[in-house]
Amino acid sequence: MVKNIMLGGVGGQGLVMTTAIISEAAFLAGFDVKTNDVIGLSQRGGKVWGSVRYGEEVFSPNIAPGRADVLLALEALEGLRWSGFVKAGGVVILNTAKIPPVPVITEKAAYPEDIEGLIAGDGQRAVEVRAVNALEEARKLGNLKVVNMVTIGMLSAVLEDIPVDCWRQAIEAHVPEKTLALNLKAFDLGREIR
Amino acid sequence: MEVKLMTGNEAAARGFYEAGGLVASSYPGSPTVELLEAVRAYSPEVYAEFSVNEKVALEVGIGASFTGARAMVSMKHVGVNIAMDPLMTFTQTPIQGGFLLVSGEDPGMASSQNEQDNRVLGKFANMAILDPGSSQEAKDFAKLGFSLSEDYGLPVMLRMTSRVCHSRGPVEELEREVRDISGFSKIPEDFGMVPPNTFPKQFEMKKRIERLTAEACGWDINFLEVWEGDGRNSVQRLAPIDPQFLSPHKTLIITSGLLYYNLKELEAPVDIYKLGMVYPLPIEALRSLAEDYEQVLVLEELTPFIENELKIHGIACEGKKYFSFTGELHTELIEAGLVKAGVLKAANYETAGEVDTVARISMFCAGCPHRPVFDILKKNKISVIGDIGCYSLAVLEPLHMLNTIISMGATIGIMKGMSKALSLSGKAEPLVSVIGDGTFFHSGMTGALNLLHQLDPAANLTLIILNNGTTAMTGGQMTATSGSYTKDWDMNTSIPELLKAMGFPRVRVVDQFDYKGAKAAIEEELKFEGLSIVMTTRPCALNFKIREPYFVVDPQICIGCRSCVKTNCPPIVMKAYNGIEKLKSSIDPDLCVGCSVCSQVCPVSAISRVGDKGRNGEKASTLVEALPADKSPEEGGKR
Repeated sequence: MVKNIMLGGVGGQGLVMTTAIISEAAFLAGFDVKTNDVIGLSQRGGKVWGSVRYGEEVFSPNIAPGRADVLLALEALEGLRWSGFVKAGGVVILNTAKIPPVPVITEKAAYPEDIEGLIAGDGQRAVEVRAVNALEEARKLGNLKVVNMVTIGMLSAVLEDIPVDCWRQAIEAHVPEKTLALNLKAFDLGREIR
Repeated sequence: MEVKLMTGNEAAARGFYEAGGLVASSYPGSPTVELLEAVRAYSPEVYAEFSVNEKVALEVGIGASFTGARAMVSMKHVGVNIAMDPLMTFTQTPIQGGFLLVSGEDPGMASSQNEQDNRVLGKFANMAILDPGSSQEAKDFAKLGFSLSEDYGLPVMLRMTSRVCHSRGPVEELEREVRDISGFSKIPEDFGMVPPNTFPKQFEMKKRIERLTAEACGWDINFLEVWEGDGRNSVQRLAPIDPQFLSPHKTLIITSGLLYYNLKELEAPVDIYKLGMVYPLPIEALRSLAEDYEQVLVLEELTPFIENELKIHGIACEGKKYFSFTGELHTELIEAGLVKAGVLKAANYETAGEVDTVARISMFCAGCPHRPVFDILKKNKISVIGDIGCYSLAVLEPLHMLNTIISMGATIGIMKGMSKALSLSGKAEPLVSVIGDGTFFHSGMTGALNLLHQLDPAANLTLIILNNGTTAMTGGQMTATSGSYTKDWDMNTSIPELLKAMGFPRVRVVDQFDYKGAKAAIEEELKFEGLSIVMTTRPCALNFKIREPYFVVDPQICIGCRSCVKTNCPPIVMKAYNGIEKLKSSIDPDLCVGCSVCSQVCPVSAISRVGDKGRNGEKASTLVEALPADKSPEEGGKR
C-alpha cells in the first residue's frame, strides 16, 4: 500500500520545506519515500504543488488524478485547484486563509465563494474537509511563520501510520533551533484541530 | 553508511563528492540550481562556484579536468547552448580528470523558455549520456559518469529532468574516494586543438563511441525486467539475454530514467528494458532481444531520440506514434499510450486532476524593485524588448508589456537589429530594452559593447539595467554587483563605471523608490534622441529580506482610482468597507514590506506608513542601502 499526499499552495508559502518535513517523517517511520515539488515560473505568487508518496516500495514520485489519500492545501483557492487529485473518501486539510491571485486583484475574476463546500463535493466523490484558518492560529501563537506547522500537525493526525515522534524528529531536522519550541507548539496545536 | 532522503540534485552532488570530485561550476537555472548549492556544503574539500555564465562554467571545469581533477559542470538545458563552443572542441581531447556535464532538462517547461532535448546535443558532442530516474540513480550515475569519462576518454552527460532534480528519495551515503591528481599534462598534440592535431581526434571520438556501444551490452545499468504475472518482475542484467528469461509476452518497452518508474506504477503485462545509458545504446543486445517480441515500444519524453537510434540501426519499434513529443509523460499518459498501442484494453487512470478555477500566475513580490519601473513604462505606453529574469513576468497579464523574450542577454542585440532595420526602412521609433544585472554580466555586456559600433547618434534607444544585486529568479544567487549590497560577497563591479569605460556617453543612475524622481529621469531618457542607459539601484526585496513598517489605506480619503492596484502588488486589493458604498483600496499588512511605491502613486495621499505621519517628503528606507542615485544625466556614474 502506498499512501499519497498531495500538496498545493502559493509560491513563497514554504511548500518545499513542508514536503521535506512530511517525507522525512515518513522516512523515519521506516517507509520508502518519494516526493516531488513543482515550482513554476519565478519565485513568488504563482501556483505551486507537490507530492509525497510513502509505503513499502514506491516507484514514481507522481500522484495521478483522483488517487491522493490526503490533500494538504496551504491556501484556500489552491485547495480547490488540486482537489481533483483527491480520491473519493479522502481527506483535504485546508488552510482557509486567502491570498488573492492576479485576476482577483485586477477585478477580472472573483475569489470563489464556499470553497469548503466545493471541495467537499457530494455523493460518490465526497471527501472529508478539515478546514482551519491556520494563519490566524499562527498569529495567536505570535509568529506567522509557523502557519504551515499548524497544517502539518493536522496532517499528522490523519496519517496514523507515522508515529508522532517521527514527526517531531523531522521538524527538528528542518527548522532553525531557536524556533523549534514554537514550531512544535504549532504542530501540537494542529494535531488537536479536527 | 547512512541512508538519507535527498533530492536528485543533492544526490548528484553527493555522487560528485564521493567520486573525489574537486571542482564544480555552474550557472543558476532551474532545475539544477540546487545542485551546486548542495556541492557547496562539501567545501572546503571541494571548490564550487556559480560562474558568470555557462560557457565560463564549462571552461572552469575543463581547466580542472586538464589537471586530472574530477570536475562537474551543471546547468539548465538552454545553458548548454551557451557552453557548446568549448564543449565541442574539448570533447576531441583525451579526457584526463573525469568530466561530468549535468544537463537539467525541463519537459513540460515548468520554468523554461523552450523544451529542447539535450540528448541530441550530447550525441552531437560525442558524449556518453546517462539518464537517472531516481535520487539513488542520480548519485550512482554521477559516480559512474566520472569513471566512464576516464576509462573511455570522453566527457559524460548526466541528463536530469526537472522531476528527477526536484524529487526526493532514499540515497545510501558512502565514503569519499581519495584521489590524487596527475597535474597539468603539457601535450599540445592532445590539448592544443588546431589542425593537424585535430585530424586523429575525429577517429578517436568515433572509436570511443563504438567501444561504448559494444561494451554497454553487458552493463548493470542496462537491464531487462520480465513480467511474471503476479505484479513482480525478474531482473536479468546480463547480455546477451539468457533464453530462460525470455518472456511469453508480446510487448517489450524500452525506456529510461523516471519513465521506467512511472511505467512500473501501471503493472502492465509487458517486459521492460531499462537503459541507464541512453547514448550510445547497447545496440546488439537490443537487436537480439527485439527479435523475440511481436511489438517493441519506446517510451521517452520529448524527441524520439532512442526510437530514432534504434530505427537507424534497423530495429523496428514505435514510440512517438503513441506517446506525446511534448510535456511530461505521467503514468496516466503512459497508460493512454499503451491503450492506443493495443497493449492494454482500457484505461484505469483518470487524466484530469487540476480543477478549472481562477488562475494564479506569478507576479512581482511585495516590495519588488521592478514594480515602479514597469509602472512608469506602462504609464508611458512603452512596449519593451525583454530579457530573462524576474522581469520576464512583465510579459504576462496584467503588465503585458514585454514584446520579446528570447535568450539570456539577447535584448540589447535585438534592440540594435530592430533599430537598424526600422531606420533603413524609414520606420524608426523609440526602442527600450530591459535587462537585469545577472543577465547583463552573463551575456548582455558584449551586446552592449556592440551597440557602440556604427551607432546612429539620432536613434532613440534606451537601455534600462535593473540592478537588484542578485540572480533573483533562480533563488537569489550572487552577481558581480552583489558586493555593493552585502559585505558577504567578494565581487563589487560598478556597472556605470564599466559602461563609462566602454565609452557610453549617457549613463544615468536612478533610485526607483523615489518614484517621482525616477519617473522624471526615465521619461527624460525615453524622450532623449540618442542612446541612453538607465541603471536602477534598489536591491531584490526577497533576497535581501527587506521588511519595513507596512502601509495602510485610509478608505475615507481613497477615491477608488486604483492607481495603487495597477502597480500589481500582492497585498493590494479593492475591498468593500463597512459603511462605504464604493470599493476602496486595501493593503494586507501580513504581506506588505513597506516599499512605499503605492503611497507615492496615490494621487490623494490616502496611503501612509503605520507609525509615520504621512508620505510627504518621506523616502523609503531599507535595511540594505541603495546605491546613490544621480542628480542629473550630466553627472553620470561616479568616477
